[in-house]
Amino acid sequence: MAAIIEAQGLQKHFGKFQALRDISFTVNAGEVVGFIGPNGAGKSTTIRVLLGIIRGDGGQATIFGRNVWQERLAIHPRVAYVPGDVALWGNLTGGEIIDLFIKLHGGGDKTKRDELIKKFELDPRKKAKSYSKGNRQKVGLIAALSVPADLYIFDEPTSGLDPLMEMVFQEEVEQIKAAGKAILLSSHILSEVERLADKVAIIRQGKIVETGTLDELRHLTRSTVRLVAEQDPHDLATLRGVYDFTQKGAQVTFSVDNSALNTVLRAVTTLGVKKFEVVPPTLEDLFMRHYED
Amino acid sequence: MNEKFALWTVLLRQYLKRDWRKIVIWVLGLGLFASAYVPAFKEIAKGSGLPTMYTTMKNPAMISIVGPTPIKNAADYTIGAMYGQEMLLFCGLFAMIVAALHVVGHTRKEEDFGLTELVQSFRVGRQANSLAVIVETIFINLLLALLTAGVMVSFRVASISLPGALLFGGALGLAGILGAALALLFAQIMPTSGGASGATLGLVGLLYVVRAGTDVSNVTWSWFNPLGWLYLTFPFTDNNWAPLVYGLLVSLVLVVVAFVLEGRRDVGVGYLPERAGRATAKSGLLSVPGLFLRLNRGTIISWMVALVLLGMAYGSIYGDMQSFLESNALMKQMFAATHTSIEASFTSTIIVVLVDLAAILPIAIVNKLFTEETRLHLSQLYVTKVSRRKLYWTNVSLALVAGVLGVALAAGSLGATALAAIGATSKMTLFDFLAAGFSGWPVVLFVTGLAALALGWAPRLGKIAYLYLGYSFALNYFGGILNLPDWFTKTAVQTWLPRLPVAQFNGPTFATITVLGIVLLVLGDLGYQRRDLI
Repeated sequence: MAAIIEAQGLQKHFGKFQALRDISFTVNAGEVVGFIGPNGAGKSTTIRVLLGIIRGDGGQATIFGRNVWQERLAIHPRVAYVPGDVALWGNLTGGEIIDLFIKLHGGGDKTKRDELIKKFELDPRKKAKSYSKGNRQKVGLIAALSVPADLYIFDEPTSGLDPLMEMVFQEEVEQIKAAGKAILLSSHILSEVERLADKVAIIRQGKIVETGTLDELRHLTRSTVRLVAEQDPHDLATLRGVYDFTQKGAQVTFSVDNSALNTVLRAVTTLGVKKFEVVPPTLEDLFMRHYED
Repeated sequence: MNEKFALWTVLLRQYLKRDWRKIVIWVLGLGLFASAYVPAFKEIAKGSGLPTMYTTMKNPAMISIVGPTPIKNAADYTIGAMYGQEMLLFCGLFAMIVAALHVVGHTRKEEDFGLTELVQSFRVGRQANSLAVIVETIFINLLLALLTAGVMVSFRVASISLPGALLFGGALGLAGILGAALALLFAQIMPTSGGASGATLGLVGLLYVVRAGTDVSNVTWSWFNPLGWLYLTFPFTDNNWAPLVYGLLVSLVLVVVAFVLEGRRDVGVGYLPERAGRATAKSGLLSVPGLFLRLNRGTIISWMVALVLLGMAYGSIYGDMQSFLESNALMKQMFAATHTSIEASFTSTIIVVLVDLAAILPIAIVNKLFTEETRLHLSQLYVTKVSRRKLYWTNVSLALVAGVLGVALAAGSLGATALAAIGATSKMTLFDFLAAGFSGWPVVLFVTGLAALALGWAPRLGKIAYLYLGYSFALNYFGGILNLPDWFTKTAVQTWLPRLPVAQFNGPTFATITVLGIVLLVLGDLGYQRRDLI
């Protein structure tokens, strides 16, 4: 697989404040990478370094194998980008702004544009100053989705969108993904990332603390087990790899290292199982693990 | 009061409490502006000032700007007559506009913000708000009228009598009340608060232009113009109270109609439907130059109009200069000795003012790119085929074109008006004026370069170009009077350039400052390529 984005030890200082300490991750063709982290962790800063809007002061980053700062002009025509805060000219209409963005990007698909306007239920004849946050977001999305690109970068794309419009966006992303394009999706709506992303990169205080496919990440963590048995299961608590054991009436709940699952299963079969549920960790569990302390 | 106006007095008290600072500034600012120039007019009137001004003010160009006077011969032109003619219409326009914006701000604007909905969820009557606002505005304008009259009389000028001053103040107050009534009406009709203010100001502007025409051709027609009712009172001369009565009656009708209309509409919508904009962009917008032109359009047009009007205003003085010189032997000798005409001397001074004013617009356009950046309007544009170089140079080019146009229009309108005023006796041609204007062009280029340098390296310092322009203008203007050391005056870029048409054009200096300006532009570009964008 060809690497589309490659970041290696990126750093960025704003005066004395170090916004990015160590950002390393890759995005390959045909891959959706979820970029997650709380506000202020450095998601937007990373994206802006990658787009050559601001200049990183340490490390390396390339897109399409080209340097993101020096060769940004060669990169940009193949990238579609929606900023986190879509701010529009109040006295232009949404339709005018979409056309402008498409044209300045280098041209796009007129029918795609009209189709997206319909799907997102945007009134393109309204002046942008009367748009709500969600409608401004739609303008940015429609413009970005109407142009041909090999890499799509979305910074908090669904903030302000209602659930129906979120669905429309997710459908579009799935289409792009199916067409073999690369997508970097920054978000803190974890369910969305979980649904769309193949890989996630978790950022914390300017540092990528975890990256990998969702399966890989899950494997590194624990699943939650809920069990109801005929015999008293409290001996399970002493097994290696079992944590947070709690008992409530007949039901016990504990988490277990994925590597210890087999041991637990063997022990459980002797207890006369009535109910046995294993829940893999959600992205939220993964995420919270990095922020608990 | 019936249910529709329930609790309006509570709202009125609330408004007075909320607005008191604004009211103080409004009444004092406008009132003093309208009344406190009496001493200045006393100065003008000294010697043969009044008859000279009378001739000037009989000029159709002046009448079209400030309005007519009923005085038929120069001997009757008193300070009061002059004050009434020159000040009333302008101050009235201000009073009208301020009142109109105030009324829209407290009615439709609050509806647009959703405040009205909140207020009406209480026991407040549906139309209580409008009544409170209109009563507040009438009250403010009565204060304004009384203050203005009081201050004017306090200067104890013979021709400024108490009845005249009350009429002057009353006309000013009427202007405010008319503006408020019109605004209240448009607030019901137009789809948005912006539309309501726009329509009111547009109508006031239209009435102003129409009265300019009727004042010059046939003043009788101006009696049918609400703006005419201000100055047709002719305070300190005819003292005619009838126009005030017409104005108050019409205001009353407008307010009643507005209330009837308001009673029949929903909150947040007007009678005219909201006009939909374009669903697709015109091809003229779809490029970086097209976009920047569109973003700066309003500023550019208003500056051009202002420069043309200013050029005309200065140009119209040229006619009087000649007669002034003829009556003053000493001055005549002085100009004969230096081998320059008074017109040439005046031109060389005034052109510096005009060029400096024309230089403000290019600075504003260059700074606009950073404003757009801070507003995050350009974030999505950075990631397109548009390069930073393209953004920078398009912006700089637009600024320079606007600068050239500004200098040409200012110098051109000055020249054209001056030549028309002097008549056939002049030795100057339009070319002389344009040459004088464009000999100052390096100044425009230099300060544009300063702004561009800031844009590239330290965009938050963009205002420095204005500061330098102001500083060097002041130095240049007062330097001669204050006898400052040479090195100090030379820090102002204008002092390097010879002042045409009195002095000779200096090619090398012109070229040097031009090159310097271009170097600044190029340095700015280097910075803009390298710096972090917001």
